[in-house]
Amino acid sequence: MTADMAAGRAAQLTGIWKSYGPVPVLKGVSLALRQGEVHALLGGNGAGKSTLMKIMSGLVPANAGSIEINGEKLTHASPALAQQLGLYLVPQEAHILGNQSVLENICLGLRPSPRALRRRVEQLIAELSVTLDLDAQAATLEIAERQIVEILRGLIREARVLILDEPTSALTPFEVHALFQRVGKLQAQGVGIFFISHKLREIREICGTISVLRDGAVVLSGPLDGYSDAEIIDAMSRVATGATPIAAAKSGREDGAVRLSVRKLSGEGFRDISLEVRAGEVLGLAGVVGAGRTEFSETLFGLRRQSGGTVTLDGVELSNRSPRRCIDAGLVYLPEDRQQNGLFLDAPLYWNTSSYLIHRLPFLLRPGRERGLFNGFRQSMGIKCTGPGQAAKALSGGNQQKVLMSKCLSAKPKVLVLDEPTRGVDVAARNDIYALIRRLAADGVAVILISSDFDEIELLADRVTVMAFGQLGGELTDKISVDAIARLAFGAGEQAHA
Amino acid sequence: MLNIIARNRVIMLVLVMAVACLALGFAAPGYLSAATASVILSNSLVLLLISLGTMLVILTRNIDVSSGSILGLSAATLGLSLNAGVSLPLAIALCILTGIVAGAVNGLLVAYLRIPSIVATLGTLGLYRGIMLIQTGGRWIEDLPQDLKALAGSIGFGISILTVTVLALFAIAWIFLRRTRFGRYFYAVGDNRDAAHHLGVPVRRVQFTAFVASGACAAIAGLIFAAQIGFIPNQAGNGIELKAIAVNVLGGVSLLGGSGSVAGVFTAAIFLTSIDSALVFLKIPAFWNDFIAGAILLIVLLLDGRIRLLIDRRIRARRYAVHARAPHSAESPGSHDKSLQADQTLHADKTLLAEASR
Repeated sequence: MTADMAAGRAAQLTGIWKSYGPVPVLKGVSLALRQGEVHALLGGNGAGKSTLMKIMSGLVPANAGSIEINGEKLTHASPALAQQLGLYLVPQEAHILGNQSVLENICLGLRPSPRALRRRVEQLIAELSVTLDLDAQAATLEIAERQIVEILRGLIREARVLILDEPTSALTPFEVHALFQRVGKLQAQGVGIFFISHKLREIREICGTISVLRDGAVVLSGPLDGYSDAEIIDAMSRVATGATPIAAAKSGREDGAVRLSVRKLSGEGFRDISLEVRAGEVLGLAGVVGAGRTEFSETLFGLRRQSGGTVTLDGVELSNRSPRRCIDAGLVYLPEDRQQNGLFLDAPLYWNTSSYLIHRLPFLLRPGRERGLFNGFRQSMGIKCTGPGQAAKALSGGNQQKVLMSKCLSAKPKVLVLDEPTRGVDVAARNDIYALIRRLAADGVAVILISSDFDEIELLADRVTVMAFGQLGGELTDKISVDAIARLAFGAGEQAHA
Repeated sequence: MLNIIARNRVIMLVLVMAVACLALGFAAPGYLSAATASVILSNSLVLLLISLGTMLVILTRNIDVSSGSILGLSAATLGLSLNAGVSLPLAIALCILTGIVAGAVNGLLVAYLRIPSIVATLGTLGLYRGIMLIQTGGRWIEDLPQDLKALAGSIGFGISILTVTVLALFAIAWIFLRRTRFGRYFYAVGDNRDAAHHLGVPVRRVQFTAFVASGACAAIAGLIFAAQIGFIPNQAGNGIELKAIAVNVLGGVSLLGGSGSVAGVFTAAIFLTSIDSALVFLKIPAFWNDFIAGAILLIVLLLDGRIRLLIDRRIRARRYAVHARAPHSAESPGSHDKSLQADQTLHADKTLLAEASR
């Protein structure tokens, strides 16, 4: 590589591979970032953006490929080394040391003492036109302030490569404007910036180059001016290659009785959500991450406290909901994170399937019957395992998800809330789960399908409700398409932030 | 308000202690004297050091329950080498080296082999005690040379060279944690390990260092123990690790890591020791000691837990207030928004206070 080529390049990623277990997340990604370039990075959930950025900043080791920052190789996964080479990642969720002061949070890890840096930090704060109490305890900061702390960390380190992972998600328009001005200045100084965002308008405002990731590969890359919004959204959301498309046979039943009716439900992270689901219907609940879908469903299931509204199941109001009351009433929730909230990973499979019923079983358990229950589901769902006594953690993601589904079904639900039922699930198991959802609906179960994979919703849902920024973003009854959903999920967001 | 109480544990402890001492002074004349103070200080030296070492480990969100055994093992090393005719300075060096090696083994297990600290140090608790018993053949070490015992003698104002050493170590620890970058890393690692890693803090090296320091403190405590008592029984240091954890909790060191001060640990160790001596003056039988110390600890913990819960809830309420005010901010960003938010926070605070006082 000649000297002047190296000089123009802030970062170079070549052939990055990464897989978690058997599931590949990144499949040979190569990206180049020039000095003074603001490079937008887009992709749906699970496209691999975050993993790529974590690898680049040394937080996670890659399986293959090489990373160069300012012409020097990142020889091993170490955040300290990456920072030494001049790279800083401003993560989406701020890393805060709650017990320390704000100033210490910003300056931690730097050689000059926080006191010596104080003036410099104050100067940066003034330039960003934000207010921040440097002596406050960091735990008391609000989300937006935490985000500002992270941005300041990047700026004070005078990084030559800056990664901004959705930096504006918690900022007010005023603060966003100031941040963009600052980004412009950094650009003029030759700093290379990766800018991750879901908001096309923002990207158009400050980025010169765009790359779109889908299913762990770069599907579109080049100067931003060369692509229309439609082209970009299309590249992000096209059905993954290699997936056998399932015929979109919807249940089409709209005559069923109303099973679940939610009226003006409010709680942590969402407000005034009203919706109805009928027997035999699949209601899609779409939205981007952070739109409040999970908070909503957890509140529905009694895991979080509600601050207002009513929930009615088959005409009976469900007040003072707890998970057990909901299960007994026939409202069952399949959580988003199966490792954390869904499965007992070390327990045998048959313990998992009967765990929603355990309070109805006699004091002395009958393991034989529990095994029988599991074996029934094993057959009907095609769960691949060595036997009912196998530990749940030994199964693949798809099979784990099937076990989780059978756990929900064992409670004989009238209303089933599925939160991201196909996350981290391979194509074959995904199709099995789709078929199962259809079958359930045909049997008269009312299904709420929560997903940020809009293709999945287009495929399965009879009706779609979109949530954006904790509120109802809109409803689609016919002509359900990925574009229409995306417009509501992203578009409504831009209105709220305009 | 809550924050002030939660943060200034030292002030709270000192106040409680002052009130208690004054009350004792009235109840039992003669309690308030320089002699009493000197006795309490020298009685608390061993506990002070073990607590200091334990604090360094707890700060990094680990725990060390092997420090009592390290105390015993190092004291035995000291006693055996002295009785074998080794000179005092060399024997002391061997004693401290033993502590450092024992601490390094703990650090290796936890920081590099990723064994949960409670399990690792429970293992070494038995292991080190076992090595000590094998070394000594299960016998007590007696007939320690006079120059060792002389270390515990007063060099003026009822203060021994051991007291000076302990106070100096506390001063060094205070400066280290307060004023050095590496000291700050201890708090960072315990506060949020991922964040520390993200910011380039050498997380494992910090954890390792904490265990080594704890081992060294325990060894010096072993030296003090031997010098003060004059012999080394089998069970030297047995159970003191739990007392040290209690001191840390009482002194405001969070068991979840990342917060706590040297001053808090110092005050709490003196506080617990002074309970013992106070009971003597009040002519309460000594078997009440553990009961009263336990009761005080529980009361402090209960209060502490409630306060922390309140602070957590308040943070949570604020966090979700972002969503609650979203529609308003779209219409009117600016001063109106700020005051609305302040209103909400105030309201949230009041609700929480009402809940807590129930």
